Amino acid sequence: MNFGYTPEQEELRRQVEAFVQEHVTPDVLRDKEAQDDVMRGGTGDPFGSHMRELYRKLLDRGWLGIAYPKEYGGQGGDRISQYIVEEAFMRVGLNISLSGSGAPAIMAAGTEEQKRYYIPRLISREITFALGFTEPQAGADLAGLRCRATRDGDHFVINGQKIYTTSGHLSTHIYLMARTDPTLPKREGLSIFIFPLDTPGVTVRPLWSIQNNPRAPLGTTYGEARTNETFFDNVRVHESTLLGGENKGWKVAADGLNLDRVGAFRYVMSVRRDEDIVNWLKETRLEGYADNPAIRDKVAELWTEAQVCRLMTMRSMSIVQRGRDFSYEGAAEKVWAPEHGVRTTEAITQMLGPYAQLLRGSPHAVEEGVFAHNVLGAFQSGVNHGGVQIMRDQVARRGLGMPGPRRQKAAGN
Amino acid sequence: MDVLLTDEQEMVRTSARSFLDGECPPQLVRAMEADPLGYPPDLWRKAAELGWQGISLPEAYGGSEMPLVYLGLILQEVGRAVAPLPLHSTCVAALTIAEAGTRAQCEAILPAVVAGEQVLTWAFAEEDPRARPEAVTMTATAEGGDYVLSGRKMFVDNFVAADKCLVVCRTAPARGSNAGLSLFIVDTKSDGISQTPLVTTAKDKQSEVLFNQVRVPAANMIGRADEAWPIVERMLDRATALLCAQMLGAARKDAELAIDYAKMREAFGQPIGAFQSIQHMCADMVIWIDGGELLTCEALWRMDEGLPHSVEVSQAKAFCNEKCLASARNAQIIHGGIGFMMDLDLHLWYRRVAAWGMRLGTTYEHRARIAEALIDRPGHVVLGQPVPVEPVAAEPERRVA
Repeated sequence: MNFGYTPEQEELRRQVEAFVQEHVTPDVLRDKEAQDDVMRGGTGDPFGSHMRELYRKLLDRGWLGIAYPKEYGGQGGDRISQYIVEEAFMRVGLNISLSGSGAPAIMAAGTEEQKRYYIPRLISREITFALGFTEPQAGADLAGLRCRATRDGDHFVINGQKIYTTSGHLSTHIYLMARTDPTLPKREGLSIFIFPLDTPGVTVRPLWSIQNNPRAPLGTTYGEARTNETFFDNVRVHESTLLGGENKGWKVAADGLNLDRVGAFRYVMSVRRDEDIVNWLKETRLEGYADNPAIRDKVAELWTEAQVCRLMTMRSMSIVQRGRDFSYEGAAEKVWAPEHGVRTTEAITQMLGPYAQLLRGSPHAVEEGVFAHNVLGAFQSGVNHGGVQIMRDQVARRGLGMPGPRRQKAAGN
Repeated sequence: MDVLLTDEQEMVRTSARSFLDGECPPQLVRAMEADPLGYPPDLWRKAAELGWQGISLPEAYGGSEMPLVYLGLILQEVGRAVAPLPLHSTCVAALTIAEAGTRAQCEAILPAVVAGEQVLTWAFAEEDPRARPEAVTMTATAEGGDYVLSGRKMFVDNFVAADKCLVVCRTAPARGSNAGLSLFIVDTKSDGISQTPLVTTAKDKQSEVLFNQVRVPAANMIGRADEAWPIVERMLDRATALLCAQMLGAARKDAELAIDYAKMREAFGQPIGAFQSIQHMCADMVIWIDGGELLTCEALWRMDEGLPHSVEVSQAKAFCNEKCLASARNAQIIHGGIGFMMDLDLHLWYRRVAAWGMRLGTTYEHRARIAEALIDRPGHVVLGQPVPVEPVAAEPERRVA
């Protein structure tokens, strides 16, 4: 049991923080913000030249994909060091992690050829994935999805619709779950496909979220300004695009989702406002806030909860670092952190009162409106990527061995 | 960074658990609630044979000198079995003697503690039970080669069983940063001491202790006259973190009893554990207990590393007070009516978890301490980085991880 970084890791942390100070310039951040305005097929560069330059520097230093094996373009280093880099960038609003990239799932379930092709390109961001899981009729009940992939010789023909394919307009590829055998029980007839989004028959259309106008300051809250719905109309893909084999998609996806959640992204999103409100209380000119016993008690409570977010993240990192499988720990973290973010957000609204409603750009907005934007965004963390009630089901069933629902019949569609 | 238990730590936990599974059935716990001493001396001796009392005491006095994290693991198991052993109070007092006592004091007491021949406790709280130096009004006055102690201490754990008690007294008025407190090792059988047992929800042995002109040799003072507060504060912090460990062990077992019951008990034609309303209660219980465990382990680890730890201790206790009790309450609710029948063992855990949450700092007190560190000291806070430390306390060098 050890809660500290090694001297080498501490040194890395100092180096990365200094790098962020020097190289994450306003130009880089503008590139990142401009992503939202780039339409797929439009003239803009979804990356931006400054952002590309930043990634080149990160690659040169070997700070991307630290924990991935050297033969796949990583550094063969430890997961904690990778985390240290991720956290420093998350703190300025840039998610450079490979969480949510599909890389952990490809490492776990991919063929040798897939790993050699995808992992280096995911690390360098030459390839990025949009996640094609949710459908209009299949969210929490993901295994009930209807998107069909029908075998035709050594190809599959895909028809159906996905929704909330976030960054589908920016990504090069999709990581798609589709039904390959409707005669099997619903979890057993699913497969994962990975293929380019410019494959004929794929259409990406924008959906605008409540975070759209005005947009939240970069990296200050959960939720994107834009997500998408994606349509598949007789999309032909080769069987080599299967990840983990035909009808093996459920396990590939479940393990991948767990691994995807590990890292700095959700943790930092969930706890930044705890820091902000404490620092605001220290600096405010208004009297009667910092010495208000009710506010002090609440802030200390939230700070303690935030530490639990951090420690649960560290626990998940420790599990990955040891090469162990998750029982329920990833799901536990995915209950605690999002709900904590909401509790903090809502408590802050009751501390700042009317100021907490002022969005970015408004006169008198506090801290560029981050608190107001969190009112719109914090709860989304409890909805996206496995809702908190689904996560509680997982804790109870996978972690505690409690009985699942009794019925499980063929999908039949 | 690896917050999971090492193989060696797993082994310590497993062997402590199997020992108490065999030696400490619920019937023993019930019997000791009615016993005047409140603990079985033969189990205390067996614990000493396993080296529990001395696990974190110096090797020079027969201990194993293991980090506090290990004592935390043992106390978690003691909590899990709700074992009626005066281990917590003994170890808290013994660690303070080891840390701040003279060689003669250590030699006189610690080997006997390691051998299971002595029970120790400490007395801080008075009418105002809060852990603040101002709350201490009991006096000690120098007289010849002795000090004469007079006053009243409250909520003294295991006083009826203890041979020695560390007593915090006022020897001077508070002046600036000097709290004016001194710490004495007092023989519990000294003339002028009388105790009254308190009747508690945990049915444990706590006493109100009256000191009427009790003579204590000056050689029994720990540390220097008037300057004991830093020693006492560290003692209380250790006591608090270790009590969290004990609470978590009890809360974990209590949750497991409820989860097992939910899998077996049928209603509406299926186990109640198949209903999501019950599953989600159980999921929350485990998430809360895990959170408390991580906070507590980090606090103990920081003590072992010589790092500032008072905020971490308060985080752990504030969280455990609320979450362990909420978990134990859920366990009661899942059991329904049978849960509050005397015949079922479940209440043995509930009553203790509830009571331990009231001792060594309430949620409000600990949060006030956290808020003070966060808000009142200058400098920005960053989660995961140490909060700005008080200017007087120099940060000890960090050991290689």
